[in-house]
Amino acid sequence: MSIFASTQIILAVMVVTYIITKALKVSTELSMFAAAIAGALAGGAGIPARHIVEGAFTYLDIILIFITATLFMNILKESGGVAYVIRGILRKFHRNKVVLFVLITFLLLIPGALTGAGSVTVLITGSMIAVVLGYMGISKPKTAAIIFILAGLSAAAPPVSLWAMITAAGVNMPYVGFFLPLLIPCLLLSLLTIFILGWSKKPVNLKKALEELPEASPKMNWLRVFLPFLVFLLLVLAGRIWPHSFPVIGLPLMFMAAASVSLLLSPVRLNFLKISRETVHQLLPLIGTLTCVGILVQIMTLTGVRGLIAITIVTLPLIVVLLTLFLVLPVSEAVLMWGAAPVLGVPLVLLFNTIGLNPIIALAGMSVIWPLGDALPPTAIIGRLTHTAVEMREPYSRLLKYCLIPGAIIMIVGTLMVVFSKKLAFLTLL
Amino acid sequence: MSVKWLFIRKGISAISGLILLVFAGVSFYKSRHLKEPVVLSPGVSQVKKLSEYFTGIKGTINDSNVYILEGEKPGGTILLIGGTHPEEPAARLTTWIFTENAVVEQGKLIVINSANRSASTVTRLGGAYPPDFTIPTSWGGQKFRMGDRWSNPLDQWPDPEVYIHYPSRQELAYVDIRNLNRTFPGRPNGTLTEKTCYALTQLIRKEKVDIVIDLHEAELQYPVISTIVAHQNGLDLAALASMIISGTEGFNIGVEYSPPALHGLSHREIGDHTDAISLLLEAPEPFLDATRGRTDRALLLEGKDEFVVKAGRHGLLFEKMDENGWPIDVRIGRHCSTILQIIELWSEEKPDKTVKVREVPRYTDVIEKGTGYFLRNPAKADPKKIYYE
Repeated sequence: MSIFASTQIILAVMVVTYIITKALKVSTELSMFAAAIAGALAGGAGIPARHIVEGAFTYLDIILIFITATLFMNILKESGGVAYVIRGILRKFHRNKVVLFVLITFLLLIPGALTGAGSVTVLITGSMIAVVLGYMGISKPKTAAIIFILAGLSAAAPPVSLWAMITAAGVNMPYVGFFLPLLIPCLLLSLLTIFILGWSKKPVNLKKALEELPEASPKMNWLRVFLPFLVFLLLVLAGRIWPHSFPVIGLPLMFMAAASVSLLLSPVRLNFLKISRETVHQLLPLIGTLTCVGILVQIMTLTGVRGLIAITIVTLPLIVVLLTLFLVLPVSEAVLMWGAAPVLGVPLVLLFNTIGLNPIIALAGMSVIWPLGDALPPTAIIGRLTHTAVEMREPYSRLLKYCLIPGAIIMIVGTLMVVFSKKLAFLTLL
Repeated sequence: MSVKWLFIRKGISAISGLILLVFAGVSFYKSRHLKEPVVLSPGVSQVKKLSEYFTGIKGTINDSNVYILEGEKPGGTILLIGGTHPEEPAARLTTWIFTENAVVEQGKLIVINSANRSASTVTRLGGAYPPDFTIPTSWGGQKFRMGDRWSNPLDQWPDPEVYIHYPSRQELAYVDIRNLNRTFPGRPNGTLTEKTCYALTQLIRKEKVDIVIDLHEAELQYPVISTIVAHQNGLDLAALASMIISGTEGFNIGVEYSPPALHGLSHREIGDHTDAISLLLEAPEPFLDATRGRTDRALLLEGKDEFVVKAGRHGLLFEKMDENGWPIDVRIGRHCSTILQIIELWSEEKPDKTVKVREVPRYTDVIEKGTGYFLRNPAKADPKKIYYE
């Protein structure tokens, strides 16, 4: 039997195991774990303890960011800071939706652009913006779609776009010339999304909104709300301005510092342990997914299934590669997350470079499409995080439904950037 | 679900998790603490520690051994760096061949087998690397650690959101702050990886090294492959070596100019920040290709993979790939011959800086006899002559 046939059988065993366990109403996380074990057994690797545990740690850093950022936001919420901010924004901007939408776009783009993680956008500004949008008469599924799409674009936006950075490193290309090719589509597509999904002529019912919104403590003020954010921002900026004299503390510790300041400044007494426990409980499904995805990817790599998928995609006819980018990139992101950059990004950029396309613009176009996969199963990490942060009670599929139009526009723009990358090369300023 | 059933289910899950952790923990511990013996060649005159050149890394995992081979006559000084990326095993094994066999008649040869020892104690998350591999020998075999491209997070963590290179301030992927070949020239108050680069730079300055050769392997989908990457100060030497090797040694090797805008790499920064000529050698390693099939020891050692062959048929590779693959003996042989040829050409060109090395096998010798033939049996060696990596 050829190696292709045997690897296809392993892949089939993994897929069938996943389908059966899901049919038996086993959770997504455990179904992925079962698929990984079945793949390892089918591949003759037995139960490879080392690989299972190693894979489980793949996304440890992201998990820590999720936990600490959510803890920070939950402390802010419990202290009354979130209610205070929303009441303030609504009072100030309820008459001018255009200004408000532009402001919201920047508030959603900045955290992800600075950190490279859409999850940070969702956790830091997403939940607050969701409430504001809610009182503007936008439904929760639409709100979630706006926040998800803008969070994805914020992760792709400069200065830190991990897909572009990881792929560039993989092809020995300096991470220069990406600023405008990433900024222009991310900014325009974000504005387009918020206006498509959020625009209505219906005025904000300020009186009703203020009545329904919880009252913040009278002692709450802008300083108490913004000082923790300022601490976070200063820590991020200090690392950028003085990278060689300021210690590397990492995003989780930055969020913990912000959380500590928020706790200290809270006008009401907070039960830190209770909030911490609830935070971890709230995030447990996501943590489980990330852990099991790591295991699944490790076993796919061990057995050759990952290679089979990669080689199948990159050896398709060029026209098919270009026309299916909109599908292949999000699906690879859904399975591998940032791991999609070295697995597919590197061979695709090399392929595009070989046929004379501009690798920087092509990679920027791909980087804009990739984040859409964060709403798709099996991981759907950012999509599910948004679903939770927005406190959406409707089924998850409603979020996906509202993502369709902006998602399609993003796919078209990204693909066109790849196809016309040579003509857009002036954007690199190189 | 009844409380009893829930309790049983949680109990089974906890015990299963614990069993996995114990088995995995033993494997991680063993590979991190695997001792790799180096039986010194009669040509090794001194073994120093890297911290002797920069005390800032004393006591750290990267305080690596520095093997010094000196000839009776004065001459030039060559530094071989292995283990910059320990996921590229042919690079490390080439340095073993030198430290266990080379005899220097003139000048000085300095060899480092594990430049980033920390990275040799961890395998890539999601990469499914085997923890170790064995090179067969007539006396059984010698086991080596398989490593990663980046320093072990146990030794350097956390990473920043973006890595800003010193001193260029170029922004690089966050994880590259643990990549020894992105942190040159290093800095004394930096991270472990940056400090290691600083120690290497100090060694180059203090030992007045003339040529630095940094050994690597690359995936076949990477455009910089089967080549000598040269700083502008070593371009002529590299071009001449490439020409002669391609004509006489039985394999082809190209030359690449070190891009001035790509910072942190040894071929750029060592050339810019020291007086040494800086060269980097790349050999093909299909094990690293993103489209590789089953990830195991066989692929690592034999370099055969049908998926990568298919990628080659579609024009996606920058090096030929057929059913013969790229066995580790071929990759090590290429490195040995290229190093020897560079040293010989240098010596011809600069007679006052001559370095004469013998007893090191060339490409055809390594392929004919196998790498294991050139590894010495530590069980039969004088214990005073054994060092561990």
